This record gives sequence, C-alpha cells and structure tokens, in this order.
Amino acid sequence: MNLSVQEITLFFICVSVLLFFARATGELIRYFKQPIVIGEIFAGIILGPTILGSIFPDMFNYLFHDSGTVNIALQGLITLGVVMLLLVSGLEIDLSILVTQGKTASLVSLMGILFPFSLGFFAAYYFPQELGASDVNLRFVFALFVGTALSITALPVVARTLMDLNLFKTDIGFLIIASAMFNDLVGWIIFSLILGMIGGQSHGVPFSSLLLLLTGFVLFTLLIGRKIINYILPYLEKFTTYPGGVLNFIFVLGFLGAAFSEYIGVHAIFGAFIVGIAIGDSVHLKEQTREIIHQFVTNIFAPLFFVSIGLRVNFIQNFDPGIVLIFLVLAFAGKVIGCGLGAYWGGMSKEESLAIGFGMNSRGAMEIVLGTLAFQTGLIHEKVFVALVIMALVTSISSAPMMSFFLKKSKQLVSFVGLLKPEIIFFSKASTKKEIIKELCDKISIYHKLSSEKIFNEVMVREELISTGLEKHLAIPHAKVDIQKPLIAVAINKNGIEFDSIDGLPAKLIVLLVTPKNDPELQLKLLAEISKTLGNKDEIDRLVELNNATEFVLNFKQLS
Amino acid sequence: MIFNKIGLAITFSPNGLALLKTAKRLQNLFNSDLCLIHVGDKEPDSELKMKKLLDEVGIDGTKSELVWKKGEPSKIILSVCAEKDVDLLIAGALEKENLLKYYIGSVARTLMRESPCSVLIITHPTQDAVHFRKFCATVEYTSLGEISLTTANEFAKLEHAEELTLIKEFQIPGLAITISDSGSTTETEQKRIAWQKEEEEKLNVFVKELKLTANEIKTICLYGKHGWESGNYVKEINGDILVIPSPPKKLKLFDRIFQHDIEFIIKQLPCSLLIVKK
Repeated sequence: MNLSVQEITLFFICVSVLLFFARATGELIRYFKQPIVIGEIFAGIILGPTILGSIFPDMFNYLFHDSGTVNIALQGLITLGVVMLLLVSGLEIDLSILVTQGKTASLVSLMGILFPFSLGFFAAYYFPQELGASDVNLRFVFALFVGTALSITALPVVARTLMDLNLFKTDIGFLIIASAMFNDLVGWIIFSLILGMIGGQSHGVPFSSLLLLLTGFVLFTLLIGRKIINYILPYLEKFTTYPGGVLNFIFVLGFLGAAFSEYIGVHAIFGAFIVGIAIGDSVHLKEQTREIIHQFVTNIFAPLFFVSIGLRVNFIQNFDPGIVLIFLVLAFAGKVIGCGLGAYWGGMSKEESLAIGFGMNSRGAMEIVLGTLAFQTGLIHEKVFVALVIMALVTSISSAPMMSFFLKKSKQLVSFVGLLKPEIIFFSKASTKKEIIKELCDKISIYHKLSSEKIFNEVMVREELISTGLEKHLAIPHAKVDIQKPLIAVAINKNGIEFDSIDGLPAKLIVLLVTPKNDPELQLKLLAEISKTLGNKDEIDRLVELNNATEFVLNFKQLS
Repeated sequence: MIFNKIGLAITFSPNGLALLKTAKRLQNLFNSDLCLIHVGDKEPDSELKMKKLLDEVGIDGTKSELVWKKGEPSKIILSVCAEKDVDLLIAGALEKENLLKYYIGSVARTLMRESPCSVLIITHPTQDAVHFRKFCATVEYTSLGEISLTTANEFAKLEHAEELTLIKEFQIPGLAITISDSGSTTETEQKRIAWQKEEEEKLNVFVKELKLTANEIKTICLYGKHGWESGNYVKEINGDILVIPSPPKKLKLFDRIFQHDIEFIIKQLPCSLLIVKK
C-alpha cells in the first residue's frame, strides 16, 4: 500500500507543525528557566484535543485524526523518536560510577527506589479505585506500575537543574547524578517486567520464559556485548568516516536491541536502553559523538514524541483533581522522604538531604514515557495518564527552586567571595608571622566559637612544613580542622611581614583559611579562587591601600 | 630516604636476572636494603644457580638478605614483605607475545592488590637495568595523593629525570545529558572550558603547596575517564614510569568487569608503574 500525494503532503505538514510548536513553546519556557521538554508537552496540549480540538475541531481532526494511514506513519515516527530517546538515555548511564559510588550515593539510590516504590505499591494495591486503576482484577500489576512510576527520576531534567544551579561539579551533583542513573536502570528493568507480564500474556509467552529471556538479554548485552562493542569502536573510528560510521553502528545496534525486546513481549524502548548502556560504557566513545547524538535526537525525534503526548488525550476533560492530588502527594513524599533519608543516613546535613530529595524528585520525560506506554497497553486510563503527566511537570518545575532554597547555606556552593564579610577583616600592626597568625586565629575564634589555640597549632604545623607566603605581598596560611564549614579571616598589614614568600616580598595581605578536614578539595578550590582573583600585584596593592573593611569587600567582589 | 627496604621475588629466568639488576640499581639509588625472596626448594642445584645469579649482579650479602620459602608464590612473597618490613616490592609485567604490550600476570596482580607496601611493576626488564627518564604521576587531592607526588618528585630527582609530568584527570558524569534539554552544545562546552580552567588553577595551587623540586615539572588536566585518560597520555608522551596512589579500596572481580580508574592502567600498562601505599 502506498501513501497518496495528499497523504504524504499531510504527513509532512503534521511533522512540521509538531516540530515548530515544540521548539517555539520550548524556547518560550526556557526563557522562564524551565526545561524545554515541559514546553514541548505544552505544545502537544495546545495542538491536541484539549485546546485546538475544542476550538477548531475540524482542523484538529484533519491534521491528526481523520487519515488513518497518516496516523500510522506518524505513530511509526513517534515510536522511532521514543526508542532513540531511550537509546540516548542508556548512553549516559555510567556503569563504573554505579560500581564506585560511595556509601551516601548507594543509600540515596536504594532509598530512592525502595521507599517510593513501596509507598506507591501499597497505596495502589489497597486503594486501586482511588488511584484510578482501570481494572481492579489487575491490581497487582497496577500496583507494581504505580510503584515504578514513583521511583523514576528523569536524568535529563536533573542534569539541567544541576547545570542551572551550578551544582554539576559538586559532591551533591555527583551524588544526585549517580543515584538518578541507578534509579533509571532499576526503574526500567522493573517496568520492562511489568510490560512483560502484560505483553507476555498477549503473546502467549509464559512469564517465567520471558524472565529468563530478559535476564539473558540484559546480562549478555551488559557483560559480553559491552566488551565486543568496546573492541569494535576504535576500528570503526579508524576505518570508517567519522562520525557517520560510528553513528550508524550505534543506531543499528540500538534498533536491533529494540526489535529483540519488542519480539519477546517487552517494549522496544527497553532493548534500546540496554544497548545504549553497553555502548555508552565504552571508553572509545568520544564525548563529541555523544553530543552529536544528543543534538540529533533532542532537536528532531524526541520533540515529536513529547508533543504527541498532548495529542492523545483531552487534559481538561480527564483532569481529576483527586487522582492528581494523590499522585502528587505520593510522588513528593516518596522521593523527598526516601532520598532525603538516604542522604541523611549517609552523613549529609538536613538541608542538603532535603535538597537531594527534591533534586531526585524531578520525573520529567522519563515518567511521561512510562505513562504513555502504560496508557497504550491499557494498564491505566486517561485520568491516571493525565495525573502522571501533571505530576511529572510539577515535580520537574519545583525541583530547581526547592533545591536552591535548601542549598543556600550549604558548603557545596561555598566561595571565598561569599565568605568575605567586613567583620572578619582587620588592620594589623603585627611584626612577625607568628603574631599575625595568632591575631587571625583569634578573629576566627571570636566569630565562630572555636578554640583559637587549636587552629593556631594546626596552622603552625602546616607553616613549618611548607611556608604559605605566596607572591606579590600575598600569604594564605591555612589548615584543615574538624569543622563542617570553611572559615576565613583577613588581615591587612601595610608595613608588610616576612613570610618566606616565593618572591621574597613581605606579605601585606594575609588570608587565613580554615577548612573541614574531610574535604581536602574544598581547601584547594578556595585557594585557587583567591590566587586567581588576586593574580595581579597592582590589585593586591590597591586592596592593601584601603582603610575600610567594607570597601575591601566591595573592591574584592568587583575583582572576582 | 624514599624506600628503606626493597623486596623482590627472584626467579631463574632471563626476566628474573633483568629484574634483579633493576632491583640492585634501585637499591643503590635509594641507599636501601634489599630483601630477595625465592619461592621453591632449597636444593644444592638451585643454591648453586642462585649464587651464580647473585654474583653476576654483584650482590654480596651487604645490605641484602635472601629468603627461601616453599608454598604459594603470592602468599609467601606477601608474608615475607610484611615480616621483613619491605616498603617497596618490585615485580615484573608480562609481555603479550610479539605485541610489545604489557600486562600484569596473576601473581603480580595479587601482589599489587594485597601488598601492604608500595609496588613497582617493571614493563621492560632488560639486562642493562631499567632507567627512568620521563616520570609521570597522577594527581589526587588526598593525603595519600600528596605522599604519592612527593615520592615521584624525590624518585625523579634521584634519577636525574628529564621531566616529571603531573596529570590530573577530571570528569563530570552525565554532562552530555544537559544537551538533551536545550539541544545546544554551546553552554555545555563553555562550562567544560570553565571547569577545565578551575581544575588547572587547583592543580597549580596544589603543586605550589607541595613545593616540588624535580628537574622540569609539567602539569596537565585531562577531561575523561579516570585511569583511561592518564594511561593514554603517558603512552602518547612515551613516559617511562607512572606513579599513582593506591586505590582506596581493594579491587574485586566487579571492578574488573566494570573497569574504572586503576583497572584501565593495569589492563594495558603504558609503562612501568609505581603504586604508592602509605
């Protein structure tokens, strides 16, 4: 059967309309510092039965409803989009990070799955009607689904939030990313089993055989397939045109994985996801290749899928405030309490634990993929689907502001300029190194109720080991002590003090830096910030000439 | 003194002789004691062979001792090391046939993993004893990382090495995912450049702090997987020896399946490897 000229024309018009609206609303929403995916979903709601279908039903039907063949073609393209999306998600799961993650990340990962899953499972099992189960007889599978839906964390939204909050390169950022990767992996495995339970029945494949096939597929791909891919990739890069050869290899393998998982009764996306992990783990996969795939999938294929969500249901008609509220409460409680407790038990502060909980709470795109598949297989009806989409949107939108709120006082975002306050700056007339270090320690002890003597001893131990007199009249004596947050004090000595400096010049600007013993990198980060800001001798001289602590802070801030 | 007592498991193979010569050379360099361990039966024939071997290298019993023991090689070597307070254990790497690629055999791997002291894995044991000209060291901001760098620095000074390159690797897992949102690489690239500068700044501060004094000290920050990037870089610049701090936990089977950090280096040794332990 061939498509007619009219059908082909309509098909391309549909694709253009979907892509245009996806990008336009995406860009608009990005303006408000929200993930683009949210805009793409709104585009679908605008183009779908909710808005366009209500105002111009003829136009909506003509574009997306009347022509069965065009619809099939569109569905094919959308399936391709979601398979690619999961292939890309798989590429970013770093197995070695999951192996090496520390105690806190393991606790956050586990609690981020166990707690929300149990909460969702028991709530849906005992109150299936309240949560909108379409068939009470399938309550076990429905409960498993709700549990999984609550355990998912959307890696792309998390990554965006961390980037916007400047947290990517911090311990918390690493912890959240590692935990989200783990949650993604476990979540998709559980969901594939649920799909297997439903799909297997319709295929006539017993669940035990499916379980065996699925386990075999995952183990083969992640243990043997991964090694083979790692072996082949450098040869491909060497002997084929870059990036064409490598991209072709990745997509061919991804689609084959998708075909296999679809064949055994689990959705195609699962195969693509697992193959993605195997490819992404290779050390030979260049960062540039990853970026090309991301651009390719994100700009063309993924938006088609996200817009298509709004085309499926009428969001106003199917909006059930009760179900939406239940899902929102379960989602927030599950992740924030689960991950928050994990982080707290792992040694993070209350604020940081809550920030991690909210960071892990964003469900974004992954939740929507999950909901769409469950909706397509008939496991959930429209009202639950709408509730899931709203839950995904609300959790994603609230993630960044809540994290930012709880991290205000955290050491994760600490900087020297942030610690610099007029009250810890003073003008000294000390004449020896020992004397001025003592004054600086006294200053810190006054404001932070710490033993001046203890800090002094630690600083002097370091000083005896290696003198901290740097260049251009700057000295940064420092020490690591048993504290939770870094402390500083600044002395200005206009006459200058002999400090065994590298360039032999006397120190006029002396900064005492005391950092937590358990975080050696934080000390380096602050030292690097100071020496970068005060890289110029003239700037230091200018600061030393000032006669007022407030002016000093203002001038320093201008430099950084 | 960097190392007080060097340990070496002695064998009667050509490689064994070459390693012995290297151990003797390092003993002189560090002015340390030498503890030779032979795993096997003490029979007249092997005693004679041993005497010949020691004479050839010039080991006459001053500042050196020989321990004969029977049993499972790695267990014996490790127990002698602990008993005799050896602080540097030397082992040879195996060469893949005709491929000029080296890897660590099962005994050396066990020694490296279980050893209570630092381990030096030699990739090119030759009859002329190995000299190290180009030193490389990976940087970690921990107290063991500091010890590892100062050890590399002292060793390089004693060897009159041409250069000591300090390599800091860093990676932000999941960074490429951020492209998923905007579809643009610009912001991600800008961030990576900013982080690279920050890492370079930190590395410079760290090196200044340690006041290293080897001949020519170079620093480099590499973005990518830990262990993999440094291994490749060392191979690229033809480094002779790579000094690394020992991993914080013992590596297990799981770590070999899902390789990370030191496993990348061990799997295909770019050059001789010194693993520094406390």
